[in-house]
Amino acid sequence: MTEQIQSPVLAESLSALMDNQVSELELQRLLKALDADPEIKSTWSRYQLASAGLKGNLEVMASGDFASRISAAIDAEETYSQKPEIVDQAPPVQSITNNGVIAGNVVAMPMRWWQQAGRVAVAASVAGALIVGVQQYQSGGAPQTAEVAANTSVVKPVATVETKAANLPSGINAPALSARTVAVQSGYESRPQENRRVMFVPRQEAAPIYNEDISTYVNQLIQEHTDNASLNSGQGMLPYTRVILIDEE
Amino acid sequence: MSIPSSLRVFLLLSPLLFSFHCQAQESGSGVSAQAASSGVVQSPEVVKLLQKMASVPHTLNYQGSFTYQHKDNPSLQSFRILHWVEDGVEHERLQHLNGPEREFLRSGKAIGCESVGDQLLQGKISQLGANLARMDQLYKFEIRGPERVAGREATALLALPLDNYRHSSLLTIDNETGLVLKSWLVDESARPLERYQFIDLDLSPDLKSLQQQPAAKLQRSAASKLTDCNPSSLKQPERWQLAWVPPGFAFVGQRQVREQIDMLMYTDGLTTFSVFIEEAAGAIPEGVAQRGATLAVMDALRFQGKSYRITVVGEIPVITAQKIAQNIGGI
Repeated sequence: MTEQIQSPVLAESLSALMDNQVSELELQRLLKALDADPEIKSTWSRYQLASAGLKGNLEVMASGDFASRISAAIDAEETYSQKPEIVDQAPPVQSITNNGVIAGNVVAMPMRWWQQAGRVAVAASVAGALIVGVQQYQSGGAPQTAEVAANTSVVKPVATVETKAANLPSGINAPALSARTVAVQSGYESRPQENRRVMFVPRQEAAPIYNEDISTYVNQLIQEHTDNASLNSGQGMLPYTRVILIDEE
Repeated sequence: MSIPSSLRVFLLLSPLLFSFHCQAQESGSGVSAQAASSGVVQSPEVVKLLQKMASVPHTLNYQGSFTYQHKDNPSLQSFRILHWVEDGVEHERLQHLNGPEREFLRSGKAIGCESVGDQLLQGKISQLGANLARMDQLYKFEIRGPERVAGREATALLALPLDNYRHSSLLTIDNETGLVLKSWLVDESARPLERYQFIDLDLSPDLKSLQQQPAAKLQRSAASKLTDCNPSSLKQPERWQLAWVPPGFAFVGQRQVREQIDMLMYTDGLTTFSVFIEEAAGAIPEGVAQRGATLAVMDALRFQGKSYRITVVGEIPVITAQKIAQNIGGI
């Protein structure tokens, strides 16, 4: 309750969050505290920065810079503050913890991203954790893994990479994997099978599932849609980066 | 005697001056309120930037490399893009530089043949003869200042949607050519969905080498044209009707894909989505699928005793896709 006691505790939780070892309770408390205390925000970004610096990944930290630039913009901004909808802070948090990855997709988040710019760093990190969650889920679901394994010629690297990813702290996750992809042959790119998977959240269900038919269908439609996207969104052929190009046999 | 006459005059007049000042302020604020209700007044610089982005790159010869990353795949991918104009026709190649060699090819788009998206970006709404919202009524554009990307002078432009129906983007646009050198797409809860960034750009590549580079074994030709050039009016979909689309989205056209799927295409100039409708038997999956920035909402529709499988695909928030899907009907 008193500031002097709470801060070290929160700092500890923050540190735990950096290592992806935070409990749901702690996460909720952190997210609440973030709104109340600007100090925590800055601590968080200092941690991120320090961590990135240590790992030599400062480039990836563009999101931190982005956040601060956005918040500067918000300070100068008054026309678009739709305050009434912001009141309810709890649902996003709850849904994240309950549903894992889908939360962001299914729950309509009323807050505009630049209104909660201070949360960018945390949100990004949570997203990272959630993706890991899916990876765990994928390797945990025995029948599915078996199915994928049957379809993939390079079974072993899949398992290794996924286990490793699950054990890595959230901060290190993205850069480490990308570095590996560039440097070593076992990257994602040499396994389009992995890349191609589209997770699907059935209506009235919380957990994403993997269904080969749906995944294939969606991939085909994404490709068709990209013809539209690349002719009508002002960015030339670049939208085709979203299309997985594999032999359709 | 103690108060100088000039000051006395001022004191006498000051209430008048004050009330006049108030009036002026009131009428002033009235004007600005009006301006606000008809959308934010767009700076000429933004208008110019968008116009350049939608027109100039089509006419250039260039070769560039860029990196790409999306939220569901932490690995950094790299690509090369080749673009050249030959006999007034655009030729493009998008090559994967990581993993197995593969590329997308596109040829045949005539210079001066503008798509609906290009027209919207350039603010040519009246030309379309449609009752559409202008870009500046859909997004609040902010110039975030000069930026240097791929060794080139560029301008960072932030596009924040004025409603909840599209994502935000940060586009860094090359000052000379209007090419988007860096792009971030950010969702409504502040997560970056995807981003790309050029690392080099060559504006005078050797044309012969661009043309003669052997195509990758794994290649696909992309459609170079979806509708007529420079449409002067917007069409309506055939057979199907979308009772709701977010403001500012124009119907681009319709085509048949994968033999039996009807595809309806929409754009607001920056954001696109497509609706797929297919007759189906048996259980139709309903739910949300996603990879990177692209979302697919699946739904079922009963129309005249038949079942249809509906999929709304686009770089749009899930609420948008769901609302679109729920408001589809047959004609």
